[in-house]
Amino acid sequence: MIYFFLFFKATIFSSGGFSNLPSLHQDLTARAWAPEADFGESLSIGQVTPGPNGLWVIVLGYLSYGFLGALLALIAITIPPFFVLLIAAIYTRLEHQRWIPGLMRGISLAVVGTFLTVFWTISKPSSGDWHSWLICLVAFGMAFSRRINILIILIIAAIAGFLLYR
Amino acid sequence: MQVLQTENKPTSKKLLLIWTSIGLQSFGGGATTVLLIQREFIEKRSWLSNEDFAHLWNLCLLAPGINLIAITILIGKKLGGTAGIFYSLFGLLFPSALITCFIAAGFQQIEHLHAVQAILKGVVPATAGIMLLVSVNFAYPQLRLAYKEGPLNLLLCLLLIIFCSVAIFLQVPVFVALSITAILGILCFTRPLFKKKAVIQEHD
Repeated sequence: MIYFFLFFKATIFSSGGFSNLPSLHQDLTARAWAPEADFGESLSIGQVTPGPNGLWVIVLGYLSYGFLGALLALIAITIPPFFVLLIAAIYTRLEHQRWIPGLMRGISLAVVGTFLTVFWTISKPSSGDWHSWLICLVAFGMAFSRRINILIILIIAAIAGFLLYR
Repeated sequence: MQVLQTENKPTSKKLLLIWTSIGLQSFGGGATTVLLIQREFIEKRSWLSNEDFAHLWNLCLLAPGINLIAITILIGKKLGGTAGIFYSLFGLLFPSALITCFIAAGFQQIEHLHAVQAILKGVVPATAGIMLLVSVNFAYPQLRLAYKEGPLNLLLCLLLIIFCSVAIFLQVPVFVALSITAILGILCFTRPLFKKKAVIQEHD
């Protein structure tokens, strides 16, 4: 029950597929329900499997609690977006309020902040190793160019990892 | 004409099929999925206009959780009512969630193998790099807007980003950090802050 609540809480205060990560990371590692390594792994698997990237949470649910965890995670990420119906209903009234643009800018900037902490969370375990920084940098560059599909970048990274660390 | 109209209307089965195919095709994340949605609903079938889509998407940015699920709900409702929401969500999420689950299960069987560990050591930093790009993509329009408005706004933007990251880093609960940053956003960017005061007074 608490487990479901944590996923639910993380999603309800997030926006976009990955921004629930910092919250989940805080809660699950504090309770020792998921080791640090699970996060990087579930993000990677979430990237290569079909469906929205937000489904990485299902992998995390599975790794930390089996099929039940995955199911709970799926339900937890499906409910909060329904608030959009409520927002759609009241938005027409609030659209022209003067403080709305400021609020949106504040939220967008906060989202950038959460992504930076996500980045830090994933790269921390391998921070002493220049190979992994190189991979990180190259992946960033390839994704930045927009010419190469994400899946191909990940496959290249997998090959690099296999060659470097086997 | 009447007949054509009804034929053009999406049936529940059709919605389910379209969303399932979108869900299964969208490897590699959100951008792909959005592209597929636009292609299916705007270009191929013209059930939605570009303006419709942009408006719905803006609403989704305000909603909590995964934006893609929110837009699925809105499009489903627009095209098929309450049943439309159900069919669309089920189509998008269930098949891909099931596959994701099996891949995770398969992964747990082999994760202890040395080769798998080595591959992961390559993939995880790459994921970190992609994540960095995602944050750059989010930051870019904000910073460009602020840059045009002058150095004070640019500084405020950077400070808010740093404030939020440091707060989360220091184990402040994420939703607290987000709400505070949102409120600071209102204070920083709503000008004049109070309508009746003179501009000079509330400028810091």
